[in-house]
Amino acid sequence: MTQHTEIDFDVLEVCLRDGMAGNEHADPREALGCSEEAEDAEVARAMVRAFAAEALARVGTQGVDPEAARHPSVRPPTEVTADPSFLGRLSTTGTDWLSVERIDDVPTLVAVLRAGSRRQRRAALARLAEQVRDRRLLQTDEVRKAIQTIHELRDVELGHELAQVRAELPGAKGRQARQEREHWKRLAERIEHEVLAFWEGQSTVEPIHVLPGDQRAFLLMRIAELSDTVVHHITAIIEGSDGCVPPESRIGLIASLRYATDRRLVPALTSVVEAERGELVAEAARVLGGIDDSRVQPILAERFERSFLVEERIALAGALGMHGDCRGLSEVRSSLEEDRPPRLLQALEAMESLGSSENIDVVAKFLGHGDVSIATQAVRTTARIGDGRVLEELTDRHNATSVPALRASIEDALLAIGARMELRGEEASAIDWSEVGNKPAPRKGARDRLPAIALGWRDYFMARLWLLLGRTTWAIARFESAAARRTGWAVPLIGIGMTFARREQYALALPAFRRAIEVDRPRIERNPILVRAMAKSFLHRAEQVEREGRDDVARGLVGEVLTLDLRRAPGTVRFELKRKHDVLRREESGDVHSAA
Amino acid sequence: MSTPLRDAALRHLHALGAADAPGAVRRLTMDIEVDGRVELVTLTLRDGELQCISSDGQIAGPHVMAALRFVAALDPHEDSSPPGPAVAAARRSLEPGPPSDLADALDDLLTAVTRVGVDKAQHAPSVDAALERVVDAAPKPTPTGLGRFIGRLQHELRAGELHRTVRLLDGASRLADALRLERPDNESERRIGAWLGARAGSTPEVELLSDRTMIEVGREWLSGTERATVERRYLIDVHSGAAFREDRPRLAKASLGPCPRQLHVGLAEIEAGPSPQRIRVLQYEVQTGVPTESWERLHQVASRSFAEVTDRYRHAVQSYPSLAEPFVLVAPYRIDHDEVFKAFDPEGHQLLLNRSERRGAVLAFYDLLADGMEPSWLAGRLTDVGGAVCLTPFAVGSRDRVYARL
Repeated sequence: MTQHTEIDFDVLEVCLRDGMAGNEHADPREALGCSEEAEDAEVARAMVRAFAAEALARVGTQGVDPEAARHPSVRPPTEVTADPSFLGRLSTTGTDWLSVERIDDVPTLVAVLRAGSRRQRRAALARLAEQVRDRRLLQTDEVRKAIQTIHELRDVELGHELAQVRAELPGAKGRQARQEREHWKRLAERIEHEVLAFWEGQSTVEPIHVLPGDQRAFLLMRIAELSDTVVHHITAIIEGSDGCVPPESRIGLIASLRYATDRRLVPALTSVVEAERGELVAEAARVLGGIDDSRVQPILAERFERSFLVEERIALAGALGMHGDCRGLSEVRSSLEEDRPPRLLQALEAMESLGSSENIDVVAKFLGHGDVSIATQAVRTTARIGDGRVLEELTDRHNATSVPALRASIEDALLAIGARMELRGEEASAIDWSEVGNKPAPRKGARDRLPAIALGWRDYFMARLWLLLGRTTWAIARFESAAARRTGWAVPLIGIGMTFARREQYALALPAFRRAIEVDRPRIERNPILVRAMAKSFLHRAEQVEREGRDDVARGLVGEVLTLDLRRAPGTVRFELKRKHDVLRREESGDVHSAA
Repeated sequence: MSTPLRDAALRHLHALGAADAPGAVRRLTMDIEVDGRVELVTLTLRDGELQCISSDGQIAGPHVMAALRFVAALDPHEDSSPPGPAVAAARRSLEPGPPSDLADALDDLLTAVTRVGVDKAQHAPSVDAALERVVDAAPKPTPTGLGRFIGRLQHELRAGELHRTVRLLDGASRLADALRLERPDNESERRIGAWLGARAGSTPEVELLSDRTMIEVGREWLSGTERATVERRYLIDVHSGAAFREDRPRLAKASLGPCPRQLHVGLAEIEAGPSPQRIRVLQYEVQTGVPTESWERLHQVASRSFAEVTDRYRHAVQSYPSLAEPFVLVAPYRIDHDEVFKAFDPEGHQLLLNRSERRGAVLAFYDLLADGMEPSWLAGRLTDVGGAVCLTPFAVGSRDRVYARL
């Protein structure tokens, strides 16, 4: 092969781009100075060598290619939900004319706090907190109502933000929130020391995955306040580079981060979405859905386009929906329209961010589902969609159901839908709470006779005295005696339950709580201290039996407590119970191993 | 020397009467005595490549050679029975197929792509078939170098990127040339090692490093014959500013710890090969929180001349057109981000961001700039787009925010 000193690189480029075969307009042999008989392989090699060398020699730093210089911050086109209503257009930042940051009207902010998307609710809470900080406004009725709403709100998704705002409020509840924060600080400090010891090789125990579920949820709820050391340790577990945490616990940890908003987690979570598959991807996508960061949407969209597993696609669709990208809506809707929808719970959850009034029909048909967790999720989704047409059906369901958890969910949903209608300028049809009712009415048994009441109280006080003196067995006997004297009296049964719960003897606490619930359920559900102790007893007992390999029993325990109205239990406990319930459900269907 | 041990093992195996059990030998650690001196020798099979080292730090010393002879069953043997099946299987797995098969397959791939043209190669059955032939002709499991070449080629074909596709094919043709040599010279041997791992009988060119402090500034999953087959971690030596890559194939082990982290490297091997050089960290301590002084140190050792960065980039790509993916740490003299981000060095040379990869990271970087961040250093992978060297960002540091992983 002879070679000319001057090679026509333009011809080579045409040949390489369009192909040698059948290219009538450019002849690489001529351009390279090859003979006519030269084989394709020989020509191809010469062409590639010459072109690559020439292209590399031209690489420099002075010239700027217009293509390379184009501004990259043009966001990828997404299908944004066409919701022209106030909430549909309400942004969270101050750059747009219709943004939460510009709203001063407290009732409007409270309505957004009840009815908005997660981002809007977060922004509304932050705006309310600003107003509450202004001491001059504290005495106004509107701000007082806002404070009351902040205290009453049981929104698990805003757990961290609510805790922060409550800690700034005056009064007993503010004090309680500050104490909780101090408790969290001590836990965080302990965990940080243990993390350092773990990486220095002084300990072989990974400190976070061995925490009890509610403690872990409590720690991670405020992840934004954790030090870099702990957060980087968590990212090591997420990415599987800690060297000791088993895969199922990795899934559990990622699920515990569901409502985290910390951007430090994004690189690790995106790496999971990029490289892993199945449950890990689904859980990581759910976390990423709630984090405001530019890196999230491109990676979720890219994964959605190439994923073929139903569980991944539904989770990715929901997460994209939270970023305003509704490309997965039709798929989730179609899956809900099937006779036996796959991943029903997850699809309903995805509809929370994807759905609009047009999709209320496919969600509403699950309001009467036999499985309480699915019916509850359907109620929650209708609350997020906020269409007034389901008010009547929800009211009917409320009156018909005997499941406290479902009734509590419906009450929250009615408030959210009412608030949304108000923001849309519709006449918020005043909910007739007398019609909604407050069933079941407390059981009214025959009145106890006076001697029985007196002896009952005597036994009860004796039991308290024995407890003070540390004689638990005698105290329990007295509590039992008091309960036996008055069959409809829940107080001694609660005493037994609380005694065993404090001693962490959850297996013994459960029967007492169950009997107390049977006698007087509202007393427990309405008392935050009792409902917390009861819910934690069920949770810890479920963890104990799960460790023994009795997953069916654990599933039963978690399912049982989730039928109760747990709105007054701490958000972290509710969150952990729901997470555990989801994991055990999946395990039942054979999808994953226990995620501890 | 070693025969009594093997005979004893055979006797013990017969005594146990164990049936064939599944399992593959991945690492052997042996006490080897030569001239009365005992050293610990470790033979490790990583990603299909054999790594040898003795406790006196030698990789081809007499102890290592004795260990290799033992494993290869080439040592003086009292009985004439053939070596056991495990040894034979290990040897088979190390040997690639006849080199000319792979060389021919690579040439066929080059010819197939140039015949149909880069624009149409993505959907061409002839190109798919040629790629399959390359994988079939390669040693099993597919070596990481060859796998990465296939991953990159498929990516560039999908993107219709002419210059980078041609460059990758150029690299493949050079490997084909090296494979056809009957007696490969050092450079060819190095090239084959980078693509396929060290060949049986050849000595891998490895440099030992000890007592260094490194900071991991970024990591990413890279595609090979399948998506996300290798996790690559980028480590920067805080004293020299040199960048290294630690490749962790899926399901394989590597050093532990999050990103960012500071590693006190007790002992590590650096492979001669494409930029950034591959590091295997053998002894290390992890510090999850990187001290502020270390970040400042990174700023001090970062490259300040973009002309030098470009020269190094050209040299790296010229040496290994298919495999080089240079990673750099730069400290811009000034930046301009009114419309497009441009970093300038004191001589006015500029560096742009590559927006065709890691789109989210680029967007996040722009958000940081919009928030008022003033980058004091940037770490990222280099590539060239339209004749300009561009940087795909992985990490950025500033005086106030210290560090952000992108």
